[in-house]
Amino acid sequence: MNDVTNEAALIDAARNGSAAAFTDLVGAYREGLLRFLLTRSSSFADAEDALQDTLINAYRYLHSYDARWRFSTWLYRIAINNAARQKTIDTVELGDLSDGGDDPLRQCIEASERENLWLSARRSLTDEVYAAMWLRYVEDMSINDISAALERSVSWTKVNLMRGRKTLNAEFNKVATDEKSKAYG
Amino acid sequence: MDKLAKQLRNDAHRIECSVSEELDDRIRASLEGIQPESVQRPRRESKSFSFWWASSLTGVAAAIAVIAFINLQAPGPGSVATESNPQPLVIPTVQWRTETAVFTSPLEQELEDLQADLKKAEEAVKQDIDRLF
Repeated sequence: MNDVTNEAALIDAARNGSAAAFTDLVGAYREGLLRFLLTRSSSFADAEDALQDTLINAYRYLHSYDARWRFSTWLYRIAINNAARQKTIDTVELGDLSDGGDDPLRQCIEASERENLWLSARRSLTDEVYAAMWLRYVEDMSINDISAALERSVSWTKVNLMRGRKTLNAEFNKVATDEKSKAYG
Repeated sequence: MDKLAKQLRNDAHRIECSVSEELDDRIRASLEGIQPESVQRPRRESKSFSFWWASSLTGVAAAIAVIAFINLQAPGPGSVATESNPQPLVIPTVQWRTETAVFTSPLEQELEDLQADLKKAEEAVKQDIDRLF
């Protein structure tokens, strides 16, 4: 409850032009946003630029934030729009990146025998479904918040989360089966 | 939480990244340089109220001016009696003579005949018009 009150106070202060209050406000979300943007950008520098643009836009248009939604939902909505715009400018297909050596996501994932599921997700899911899966399973957002962040209907969100789960479950089970068969020779 | 959800969460945390100091400074500098758009835009109520009054008064004044102008321009009640009665308008009656085309001649001949009839009719109409006016 204190966090919520504190967040509301920081939002008010930021709306009145306090950049310091805004910096405090977004402090808890910056790394999560950067991680998310990293999975949507063609380079680490692009992800950093997208984060900067997201925060600047959020600060500039803070008056349009509706307190009925979680602040993180609103931030992610801006981040998703920024990432989409940047992708259009770059005209780089992320599908091609997943196989390349310059892939920022691959660079930021520690080496492991098993492939990171988010790499599989990026390869096999559309941008929107990927974002929905991320918001659901990493950010713990509700279906309503996800649909608001993606500007999609609740039913669209539910159906596509189900599809995303099905696709990733197949990948996950395939990897698990491969590991088992390796273990048993 | 099911296995997949747990794995997705773990894998997300395996993505190593952090906001560098350089980026942090850059963001701070950018934020200092801008001002959030104000949610409270200047109220226009008083302005719109006075504007409403001004436009209403202008409209009423214009209406009064038009009515006054029309009343000044309109002829007085005596003028109708002094006005001379105009002569009744004679509408000329044009005698349209039509002939049934007999399609016995070749078409060219018939066309020429029709054109000649048309010319004659035109001339007759012209003569009637000249005679009347």
